[in-house]
Amino acid sequence: MAKQIVVCLKQVPDNTKLRPETLTAMPTHGVDMMMNPFDEYALETALRLKEAAGEGSTVTLLTVGHESAKNVLKKAIAAGADAGFIVDGNDVPAGDGLATAGVLASAVTALVPEASVVVCGTSALDVSGGMVPAMMAEKLGWASLTQCKEVTLNGETLSAKRVSELGVETHAITGNAVLAMMKCDYELRSSNIKGVMKANKTQLPIKTLADIGATVTAGITTKQLAQRPEKGDGKVIEASNGTTDAAVDELVAFLKAQKLV
Amino acid sequence: MSNVWIVIEAAAGRCTKAYLELVAPAQTVASALGASVQALVLASNDADATSAADALGQQGVGAVATVTDAALGQYAPQTYADAVAQAIQAKSPAAVLFYGGPTASDYAPRVAAKLNVGLVSNASDITVDGGKLTITKACLAESMLLTQAIATDGVQLATIRPKAFDIADGVAAATPAVEAIAVTLTPSATSLTSVEATKVEGISLEEADVVVSGGRGLQAPENFNLVEELAGALHGAVGASRAVVDAGWRPHSEQVGQTGKTVSPKLYVALGISGAIQHLVGMRTSDTIVAINRDAEAPIFKTADFGLVGDAFDIVPKLMEKLKN
Ligand SMILES: Cc1cc2nc3c(=O)[nH]c(=O)nc-3n(C[C@H](O)[C@H](O)[C@H](O)COP(=O)(O)OP(=O)(O)OC[C@H]3O[C@@H](n4cnc5c(N)ncnc54)[C@H](O)[C@@H]3O)c2cc1C
Ligand SMILES: Nc1ncnc2c1ncn2[C@@H]1O[C@H](COP(=O)(O)O)[C@@H](O)[C@H]1O
Repeated sequence: MAKQIVVCLKQVPDNTKLRPETLTAMPTHGVDMMMNPFDEYALETALRLKEAAGEGSTVTLLTVGHESAKNVLKKAIAAGADAGFIVDGNDVPAGDGLATAGVLASAVTALVPEASVVVCGTSALDVSGGMVPAMMAEKLGWASLTQCKEVTLNGETLSAKRVSELGVETHAITGNAVLAMMKCDYELRSSNIKGVMKANKTQLPIKTLADIGATVTAGITTKQLAQRPEKGDGKVIEASNGTTDAAVDELVAFLKAQKLV
Repeated sequence: MSNVWIVIEAAAGRCTKAYLELVAPAQTVASALGASVQALVLASNDADATSAADALGQQGVGAVATVTDAALGQYAPQTYADAVAQAIQAKSPAAVLFYGGPTASDYAPRVAAKLNVGLVSNASDITVDGGKLTITKACLAESMLLTQAIATDGVQLATIRPKAFDIADGVAAATPAVEAIAVTLTPSATSLTSVEATKVEGISLEEADVVVSGGRGLQAPENFNLVEELAGALHGAVGASRAVVDAGWRPHSEQVGQTGKTVSPKLYVALGISGAIQHLVGMRTSDTIVAINRDAEAPIFKTADFGLVGDAFDIVPKLMEKLKN
């Protein structure tokens, strides 16, 4: 049976281009941004579920944040998603899991009322909250599983593999569910020219909190963003061309001094 | 006097000794709030509840509350969240600390959403400021530190990052007073159908005090015996860079980094790993980092406490030789 699938995507700072010394608050836009890495796996999983569920199935993208997140949604539409909405995040405290989850739950109910599956990333790289998907499920009254590495549809039943301290757990799920993905054995498919053209034509409406009937409950207060204390300069020595023995002796002495051996 | 709870998932072999890391931060929070530490043990039978209570007593925890229900024998986030939320409603603890492993990270957010209260996650440090839990945590892929406080009234929830706190040595044992809390659990919409135990040879990566990782510099999968032998000599676990996981040399369960595991052992040894940012985020919080790489310009040396510029095939056998003596 056809399924209406939602993917929650977050744009986050690109950590490979980050300059910590310039930041005093968590940026939500205005620096190099990218799709949260785990959300790429969420998107690919959703596209696979859409194919498995067949004719009439759709993937709808939701993001709460700045309008510049449209770039991330466009990338996802180019890869095969059908529609997307940006919920204006101006009044949603950035990185507040409880507040964000409440808004996303309202967005699912208001904008994709037929949805039966929401796929997320397990955690967002910026604040590393790791809580929006399960909180959202609780708000919706749906099942949830996080740290998933695979979700499949067997007939009408969803099944998820998640990684825990015990190994890889397989769970069978009845009814509606929010699933949060970590790294999977598959990567996000690349998009073709047709996809990119479609993405450029697709409208990405911006909704206000009032439009979707959302109210905000702040769960946390953000106090400060700070640089990590600098590590003292490490020692780097040459260990080749006849110096190996002396260098290895020095390493062993270092390990002993640190009580590591 | 109110309580600060530490939650122990004693059912179905989920909690390990590492859960005792919760005791120290709970004591900090309890003394700041004028409360005392009590463990909330979740168990599926009385035997598991009793053995968890004993282990907690050994660590000086003098008060234990138990929720024992057969339904907790199979992990389901809705069931676990339901059990903890009902226990909180029954006893009104001031704060609840969870071990931030794969189990509580999965269901603690549901507890918070059920009670409509804030949760701070992955705390590597915790204090109380103006009566509110205030934590410091790694953010932006481990590159910076964020301080957050609970903003809601009522019970305050936090998950604690594994290995961020030490288990105290030589604590005087207590014989805990045990109190049972009754809950009524509703069936969950997820059911655990099977567990495929990942092959763990020896020590698990996340819990190991020493991790020796290999990268593409090892040049061929069979050369990983060098990594395994050094890990063996140091009583550590084996890790890998994504390059060698993608090449099929090592399983993904050994991958360290942004799309793998985050480890922070006492000693991390990187053999033939260049030190790409996506690798560094998974290991930069290790206490001591040793890097062996033949390229003096490799970025790993910027993060290393001790670096050897040279050929791993030349250095590692000599190192093992000298460690033996
Ligand atoms: C979205 C994304 C996520 C990623 N996630 C991860 C992740 O989770 N973990 C991860 O590790 N990577 C991750 N990567 C990949 C990362 O960018 C690097 O490509 C990868 O870490 C490189 O692995 P490596 O250091 O083993 O290989 P290389 O970069 O090829 O480095 C090999 C090193 O070995 C040295 N060497 C060669 N021969 C010897 C010798 N005989 N003795 C000593 N040294 C020698 C070389 O000087 C070189 O520095 C990710 C990338 C992306 C884009
Ligand atoms: N502002 C947001 N907009 C859309 N999705 C989000 C947002 N914040 C979090 N998510 C989703 O929830 C996942 C986990 O985020 P977090 O709980 O913040 O670590 C992310 O990978 C996204 O799928």
